[in-house]
Amino acid sequence: MTLMTMIVKMSEGLGKTCAIFFLTLIFSLPLGMIVALLRMSKVRVVSAITRFFITVLRGTPLMLQLLAVTYGPYYLFGASVARNKLIPVVIAFSINYAAYFAEIYRGGIESISIGQYEAAEVLGYSKLQTFMRIILPQVVKRIMPSVTNEVVTLVKDTSMAFTVSYQEMFTIGKQIANSQTSFVPFLVAGVFYYVFNVVVDYVMGRVEKRLDYYK
Amino acid sequence: MDTSNSPSILSIRGLQKSFGSLSVLKDISLSVERGNVISIIGPSGSGKSTLLRCASFLEQADGGDILYDGQYALRDGVYASKAELNRFRTRFGLVFQNFQLFPHYSVLKNISEAPLLHGEDKEEVRERALSLIRKMGLEGKEDAYPYQLSGGQQQRVAIARALAMRPEILYFDEPTSALDPELTGEVLKVIRQLAEEKMTMVVVTHEMPFARAVSNRVIFMAGGVIVEQGHPLEVFDNPQEERTKQFLRVFER
Repeated sequence: MTLMTMIVKMSEGLGKTCAIFFLTLIFSLPLGMIVALLRMSKVRVVSAITRFFITVLRGTPLMLQLLAVTYGPYYLFGASVARNKLIPVVIAFSINYAAYFAEIYRGGIESISIGQYEAAEVLGYSKLQTFMRIILPQVVKRIMPSVTNEVVTLVKDTSMAFTVSYQEMFTIGKQIANSQTSFVPFLVAGVFYYVFNVVVDYVMGRVEKRLDYYK
Repeated sequence: MDTSNSPSILSIRGLQKSFGSLSVLKDISLSVERGNVISIIGPSGSGKSTLLRCASFLEQADGGDILYDGQYALRDGVYASKAELNRFRTRFGLVFQNFQLFPHYSVLKNISEAPLLHGEDKEEVRERALSLIRKMGLEGKEDAYPYQLSGGQQQRVAIARALAMRPEILYFDEPTSALDPELTGEVLKVIRQLAEEKMTMVVVTHEMPFARAVSNRVIFMAGGVIVEQGHPLEVFDNPQEERTKQFLRVFER
């Protein structure tokens, strides 16, 4: 198999790699905010339960979580394994990343001084207005570097979908590597991920720059 | 809105506040008449700031009454409804020690957003904000962000922001304590100007010459009680209480 054929075959999986990446971001970024707010809930039980789930999601391998979400229903209830693996893969990734984003959001929210809330309160801002207009924009700016870190990691983590044989780029590469007894597909995969992350870095850099108008 | 003819904008009676077992305000009573400027002085930990924070609902009092224009916001330790408190909130403004401007907003937006959120007319708010900016001597800073301003300028923006809501009474919580000495003057100047315009104000301050020159009444607090109050000349030049004398001696240098 020529290098060109390998590249073409693996590119066919890029769409699925991108699907995991974008769908995970679309679901986990907002979900993380909900988790963060639950984590900071004044109701002790709510915050304790949320905290427990976060520690589980951060404290166990993503690979294990992928397997659990994909095959768990079969072993537990005898349900058939999803025909389209994208669904369990995106669920597992979204929940896992939401846990990480939640902790980043929480750190950001807690770093805003209480005086900002008080100033808004005295001026008659409602709780929602205070959060959406005063707190959140400042949080977003502060957490951008940490979020970029997670997004870069996510690009590489999509390769873990191979554990449930979802036909994304790395899974295809691994299959070629096995059948051809060649290391080249892994090098190709490495280049793909690197280029992907160069783009991610550029985009996130632009976003950070746009938030640079104040300190 | 003037349903009451009560001359006092703010009346506080028997106000109590503790943090845990620490009693910070013990039976505080005072009233503020329209057009008056009241300075509250006293050592740190005397409860001055807590008093202002209770009056602006940032701290929840444990007992006593707070009335705005004769209407109860707090009656015998029980607060009025949320909606009513929101209405009371439009009557006062508060200027913080460390400004608390919104860093991601321009000067103009810092000043104009709150009235806009209250549904006021856009053009009208803009005109008011611009005239407040002029009044505070901040012409040309409309589009600047807080980090581009000196502390004194930031505090003047904060004053403009509070005034944009057209409060009937303005509270200042040590407005110059976070400023370099050479910047306190410009902030005190605008407060003095507001006093001349008969703005009703309560100022917690350590600036004794300012308190003496501007206020109609000085309140000396210590240990959570009002030890002594009266005309600034009486309090400063002829204090009756030993605790007051002791406190004022520190400033005679």
